[in-house]
Amino acid sequence: MPDRKESARLADHAQIEGLADDLLPALIAKLGASGLAELEVREGDWKVRLRRPTDGGSSTTRSATGRAAARAAQAHADHAHGDHGQVDHGGSEQAGSETATNPYRTAATSPAVGVYHPKAEVTSGSRVRAGDRIGSVDVLGIPQEVVAPVNGIVGAAMVESGDAVEYGQELVWIELIATTAERSGRDA
Amino acid sequence: MFAKILIANRGEIAVRILRACRTLGVEAVVAYSEADRDSLAVQLADEAICIGPADAKRSYLSAPAVISAAIVTGCDAIHPGYGFLSEDEGFAEVVRAHQLTFIGPPPQVLERFASKEATRRLLGAQGLATIPGSNGMLRDDLHALEEAERIGYPVLIKPSAGGGGKGMRMVRTPRELESAVKICRSEARAAFGDDSLYLEKWLEDNRHVEVQVAVDRFGHGVHLGERDCSVQRRHQKFLEEAPTPALGEAARAELAERAIKAVVAAGYENVGTLEFLVDGSGNAYFIEINCRIQVEHPVTEMLTGIDLVVAQIRIAAGEPLGFSQADVTLRGHAIEFRINAEDVEHDFRPSTGLVERYLAPGGPGVRVDSHLFTGYEVPPFYDSLLGKLIVWGPDRPAAIARALAALDELVIDGVVTNVKIHQALLRNETFLAGQMTTNLVDRVGAGAFLAAGAR
Repeated sequence: MPDRKESARLADHAQIEGLADDLLPALIAKLGASGLAELEVREGDWKVRLRRPTDGGSSTTRSATGRAAARAAQAHADHAHGDHGQVDHGGSEQAGSETATNPYRTAATSPAVGVYHPKAEVTSGSRVRAGDRIGSVDVLGIPQEVVAPVNGIVGAAMVESGDAVEYGQELVWIELIATTAERSGRDA
Repeated sequence: MFAKILIANRGEIAVRILRACRTLGVEAVVAYSEADRDSLAVQLADEAICIGPADAKRSYLSAPAVISAAIVTGCDAIHPGYGFLSEDEGFAEVVRAHQLTFIGPPPQVLERFASKEATRRLLGAQGLATIPGSNGMLRDDLHALEEAERIGYPVLIKPSAGGGGKGMRMVRTPRELESAVKICRSEARAAFGDDSLYLEKWLEDNRHVEVQVAVDRFGHGVHLGERDCSVQRRHQKFLEEAPTPALGEAARAELAERAIKAVVAAGYENVGTLEFLVDGSGNAYFIEINCRIQVEHPVTEMLTGIDLVVAQIRIAAGEPLGFSQADVTLRGHAIEFRINAEDVEHDFRPSTGLVERYLAPGGPGVRVDSHLFTGYEVPPFYDSLLGKLIVWGPDRPAAIARALAALDELVIDGVVTNVKIHQALLRNETFLAGQMTTNLVDRVGAGAFLAAGAR
């Protein structure tokens, strides 16, 4: 976009900011809760598309929450059942193996084995910066900080407050914002 | 009995404990570090929980991580295996403070036997001959020099804590002593977080003989015979056998009986091992007690048919031993070979890598305790033990014949192992004559053993 005016550029930026602040958090919460693969919303001459990657099943990816239980399920299940035992502690369905293949989200992980407590004011849709404390894991009564690994928006939680978590377990998605908004029509 | 046990260890012993839990019908949870995510114990486990990163200080050696894992998985007991937290009385105490049971001696018993130097005095008072040594810990260089002078050179510098040959040095002169004390202090501090040292008279050409005991909460104790661990390199055992070729039947029985009597009187509880040095005339001097299951415990299991890990768990659960000395019979001869990821041709340098092919030997009297499988990646963070080959025969020559065949059958491709030194030993005249002493491999040089074995 070599010839675009400075004012147009600024206006675009303002619009993107607006989308990121208002629309995206709501959409992320929606997508996280729905289990849908993709969500697209148009607003003005912008559209926002949120997509979960279809899991390629790369063997190098770490599965998400409930690894131990999943592994136990795998150990006992017959092998035709596949590589991704999607079982977790709580019983809700968990999509494993997403982190490594999805460039638009990354998970905040547990710093220790213990009991997870998200920070009350950090909910789905909150904007966070890398290093922000978003919760804690209680190890024998001593809280260990859970921090946001990147700048972004808090997305779907993978574990509930009060759940037992293991070291390295994925706790909550952090959706990266800048890369998820694209312009429709112009510049497409 | 416990409802659910957390296994706070890795490698072959984690698999061994898991098997004992299954035998007992007790649920087990394997606690693992990130580096052991794909380990055999984790794959075999009904339940596994990641307790920390590869660095053992933040996983297998972290008391909070281990105890937290036990609590969140609903365990009521923790089995520490060997090494790591297995003899840490502070850990055992914290475990109890969280209403969990430490599988091993109770904290107060561990504490009583925590200092090697104090234990020597304690059991000395119960009638065991102990090796001459320093009075208490070495305060400083001057004290060390005085004590060494009194005992007489050569002396062995030993750390009060820990095991596995770390922080140990034999010295022959006062000059050597001063520099060696410094090295031992820093090694002991790094390995055990405790740099207290003491001195022991060094016996030339000694044999290492240890007695396995089991004592329940009610003071019923039995011995399960002895093991000979004289095949060592730099104070590290790598082949163990029973019965010891160093002593005759009457002397073996007498040593074992004195050992069990002394530990019961001193208030020991659970399985344990009393280590002795035996000199050329067959005199046995008590040196230390190991308050845990040992790497070489299968040797005794092969002779007695008693599952020592099961016994350990039962005793910790407060159950009576369930058998008496008369029920313990020692049959035949057993030899254990520690299969280590070590390059014997390059100064036993540790090796790591992908196990491209693994085939375990079999047949009558052959047992393999290992966490290997084809496709396993040996991580660089922990000790080099890949597993143990244990053979049993009606007598020593029969056991040796089975061992030769089994070592030939064993295939571990992709990682360099120490199998060659075992094969060399089994063809060595001194070993065949049952005359190995603890210093022999170091004195002659492992290279000479290998070269002779290759002929």
